[in-house]
Amino acid sequence: MTSPDLTTAPTPPASDPSRPGRRLDFGSFWDTWGITSVLVLLVLVAVATTPDFLAISNLQSILRESAYLGIVACAMTVLIINGAFDLSVGGQLALVSVLTLFAYGVGGTGLAVVTALAAGTACGMVNGFLVTALRVPPFVATLGMLFVFRGIAYLLTQNGPATLPYTEVDSPFAQIGSLNLALVPFPFVLMVVVFGLAYVLLRRTPTGRRIVAFGSSPVAARFSGVSAARIRFVVFALVGLAVGIATLTYITRVWTADGAAQDGFELSVITAAVLGGASLQGGRGSLVGTFSAVLLVTVLNDVLVAHGVDASYQNIILGTVLIIALAIDGLRTRFAGVNLLRRSFGPRTPKAA
Amino acid sequence: MRKGTTTQMSEHDPVLEVTGLTVEFPGVRALDDVGFTVARGEVHALVGENGAGKSTLLKVLGGVNTPTAGTVVLDGNPYSPAKPHDALVAGIAVIYQEFTLFPDLTVAENVFVGREPVVAATRGIRYGVMRDECRRVFGMLDWEIDPDARVGDLSVSEQQLVEIAKALSVEGQVIVMDEPTAALSHSEVARLLDVVRRLRDEGRSVIYVSHHLEEVFEIADRATVLRDGKHVATLDIASTTEDELVRHMVGREVSSVFTREPGVPGEVVLGLDGLSAGRILRDVSLDVRAGEVVGIGGVAGAGQTELTEAVYGALAARRGSMTLHCERYAPSSPADALRAGVGFLHEDRKSAGNLPHLTVAQNVTITILDRMRGVARLLSFAKERETYDSYRSRMRIKASSPAQLIGQLSGGNQQKVLLGRALAPGGDLLVLNEPTRGVDIGAKAEIHQLIGELTKSGVAVLMVSSDLPELLGMSDRVVVLSQGRVVGRLDGDERTEENVIACATTGRRIGVAA
Repeated sequence: MTSPDLTTAPTPPASDPSRPGRRLDFGSFWDTWGITSVLVLLVLVAVATTPDFLAISNLQSILRESAYLGIVACAMTVLIINGAFDLSVGGQLALVSVLTLFAYGVGGTGLAVVTALAAGTACGMVNGFLVTALRVPPFVATLGMLFVFRGIAYLLTQNGPATLPYTEVDSPFAQIGSLNLALVPFPFVLMVVVFGLAYVLLRRTPTGRRIVAFGSSPVAARFSGVSAARIRFVVFALVGLAVGIATLTYITRVWTADGAAQDGFELSVITAAVLGGASLQGGRGSLVGTFSAVLLVTVLNDVLVAHGVDASYQNIILGTVLIIALAIDGLRTRFAGVNLLRRSFGPRTPKAA
Repeated sequence: MRKGTTTQMSEHDPVLEVTGLTVEFPGVRALDDVGFTVARGEVHALVGENGAGKSTLLKVLGGVNTPTAGTVVLDGNPYSPAKPHDALVAGIAVIYQEFTLFPDLTVAENVFVGREPVVAATRGIRYGVMRDECRRVFGMLDWEIDPDARVGDLSVSEQQLVEIAKALSVEGQVIVMDEPTAALSHSEVARLLDVVRRLRDEGRSVIYVSHHLEEVFEIADRATVLRDGKHVATLDIASTTEDELVRHMVGREVSSVFTREPGVPGEVVLGLDGLSAGRILRDVSLDVRAGEVVGIGGVAGAGQTELTEAVYGALAARRGSMTLHCERYAPSSPADALRAGVGFLHEDRKSAGNLPHLTVAQNVTITILDRMRGVARLLSFAKERETYDSYRSRMRIKASSPAQLIGQLSGGNQQKVLLGRALAPGGDLLVLNEPTRGVDIGAKAEIHQLIGELTKSGVAVLMVSSDLPELLGMSDRVVVLSQGRVVGRLDGDERTEENVIACATTGRRIGVAA
């Protein structure tokens, strides 16, 4: 509770119980700051190898680009901590983008913003309904809705993609994506605010505590009076709301959307959350980690693009980074809390309870 | 020893001779110098309390556990199986209480699993042979089961028969059945006992483990009693009585367990009237008064868990009603029960108690989060800390800090944390299921003392325990369940281990005619 990090739930006891208090070993460090250290290393490499990396416009571009991924990954982290995940966020983003552009055409900035938030939340509530009321497993429910949401977005854009006309470049709506507050891009500010709110939710509200408790042990949570259905419905709705917010920063940057928008977005989002330390078994996840992982992915892309690396290689590199991160995590869990070498070569001691 | 310790039958034609069998696990001696013989064509019952060592003995015979010392002789040859398959090949078939069937395979595939007859050239399975052999075996049992039926679609009793068929198809000499009737209805039990008789008449031997003494008396020739891992007696069923068997099963001096001072019961806190819930709990009526502990006893799976979960709102009542402080009480979820101030402790600490990713403090406050709000309705860490500290000192929880994860504590301290969670709602009804299971002696005494203090302050406790000294030492009254029904209410001097076991296994008190 006194630790300075945002890690909502540390790893369950893998460490030596005889010396609690001082767990400054590689394991606990990696848990909290692992992916952040990798990000720092990557930035150092980027500064050294890419001449224009530190240019303000480049940094702004990275932060602006990371926002829509980060906002959704933040909510996804909360959902993964709760023990589920949402494969439909890509479909949601496409559908909400199309609807938002239509709404802007009809009622301007105000209606567009309201539409984005409402449509996103509605998508999340559909998922929540399927999972809690109809008891469809999250994997299947959200996989199905991915196709449904995208399908609807395709239907709505049969006569060509929805677009924001170029004449609207100075409208308040278009400003959402391009505005800078004291040099910091507004989308990034929005992302930081979302992470802050998620932190407060998880750490300081009964609902957040119940989200973590249910992800930690659904059975024990049930016997502690946690209503699984209510909690899970809320979290799915929050993911939808996050997609709504993310759409506002996304669509005001690309200005156009159809059913194919952001194909594969759901996997990038889950990748960021898992890179950040979220466990798909539930109970465990880190908002700091996800935040760093989102920036890591964006910086990596930026650097690779700057060096003219082909998009296929970008995918290969991202996949490799994900696997290396989880391999370190797996090895760390196995040897956690002890001097790795001493334990490996020393006499076998009984496993700590 | 007593009469009937040895009989002529075993000396005539022993098929299985167990001598000096000892099994040790780290810190526990599960079996201690156990010896008995099983004759050819005999039904030999194995009885004893929970934890007497029956399961360990079966696992040795089945090749699951390896004995530390002692020998087993089967048909004149030393028998020491290294793995379950060796046991089957040697002719000992063990049918465990939890079936080892594959629900998605057919009956024939299950009977022959691991030793399917195959065509030599192609290694293809000869389904025809398997089906014929199945029909032959089921014919022997005088039972009709389609060899191509999916096992998952069969009833429990039919699945039991598939297990028996598996044993018969290897020409098993000794068939071991662990609580075979636990899940069977009355008529199914009769058919099963019929099958056992058939097996005996064919000259096979059956080791029959059961908590139900009436079955033992109906079917067995002899009975071996185990207690605390030791062989107590082997008795001829024809020349013994249920009461004598029960005395052998208990046989313990009254242990030095903490005994609660009986208080003066106040008014009724919880009332159950004809409550039925889940698959087995039927028509249970009882009262729990302020300041008393009502103990629930019975063999495992007699409906204790269902009873506690129904009171806590985790299991819907199908019939009957409950009252709390004389007002209608019908919780539809644990949250409802918690709002009414009911505290609950689950028997399975590991999978239904601990929240492993939460700290000890958070594990205590999870049931009362709404009372932990502070500024702007957010959770106040100070309040959580304060709440946790009060329970920590009250129960002497040993943890290095409130931020320690619950899994890092010892079992006893975990249990104290979970008891804190049960007390936190602050009501005057506690539902405790196995409050001291898997905790060390010191923590056990502390928990007993805590329950004593709570009742003194007027709390009503409904406590399930399979630990007889604890059940008797802590409870003012004991209610014994068997197959979901109340079969005994023991008050005052009637609260003896003999009576609890007699009620649980025969449905009546010791010394009372049926």
